[in-house]
Amino acid sequence: MGFTKVADYAAGKQAWLEDNQAREGKSTEETWLGDVADASIPTCRLDERTGDLRQRVEADGRQICVVTTDEGIVLGLLRKQALAAEPSRTVEDVMQSGPKTFRPNLTLEELLSYMRDHEIKTNALITTAEGRLLGVIARADLEATLEHEAAEARGAGSSDG
Amino acid sequence: MPSQVFRVSEVGQLLDQGAQLVDVLDPDDFEHSHLPGAINIPLKTLTRETTSRLDRSRPVVVYCNDFG
Repeated sequence: MGFTKVADYAAGKQAWLEDNQAREGKSTEETWLGDVADASIPTCRLDERTGDLRQRVEADGRQICVVTTDEGIVLGLLRKQALAAEPSRTVEDVMQSGPKTFRPNLTLEELLSYMRDHEIKTNALITTAEGRLLGVIARADLEATLEHEAAEARGAGSSDG
Repeated sequence: MPSQVFRVSEVGQLLDQGAQLVDVLDPDDFEHSHLPGAINIPLKTLTRETTSRLDRSRPVVVYCNDFG
């Protein structure tokens, strides 16, 4: 057709959205996990000692720490119980390997539904398809946000007529 | 034959070179979500006429939904 250069982005739209890249279209009216994931969650490396981490994680208040590579790829998760391990133990010794993660282009409703069905009561890790940490979403925040949105929608509905 | 790119960074480099993004999905898919700045020309409708609004002197990056 006379074009000088044509490239096929073979990974496609799905890969773009799973990488938490910008989007246009009606989906911007939805809240996706990547829009609200909290990137301030504490992270640590495999060779750190639990004793060195404890104070930092306790100060954060969420009682979890995500184990990542230097590039931010998720390797594991430390919860409160693991953080209470003997202080000289390494993160690698006590972490939960390969925790469940969710892609950024899911909606809040989809995540909450999964968490309810699988009795996940605390947090969900949000990563790209390659496993790069984007942040965390607490189930309590998820429920509060959706309840707030539902209340607003009910209010708008009643004022409409 | 078009070259293939797989990484977001490669798409970004092409866009920096002035590339035009073409989404070849169905209009419903496009309306729901698409890459910023993309235009929609569904695959079944790709002809010289439907691509006439593209600048032939600039690179073009086409995409569908995924590898499948």
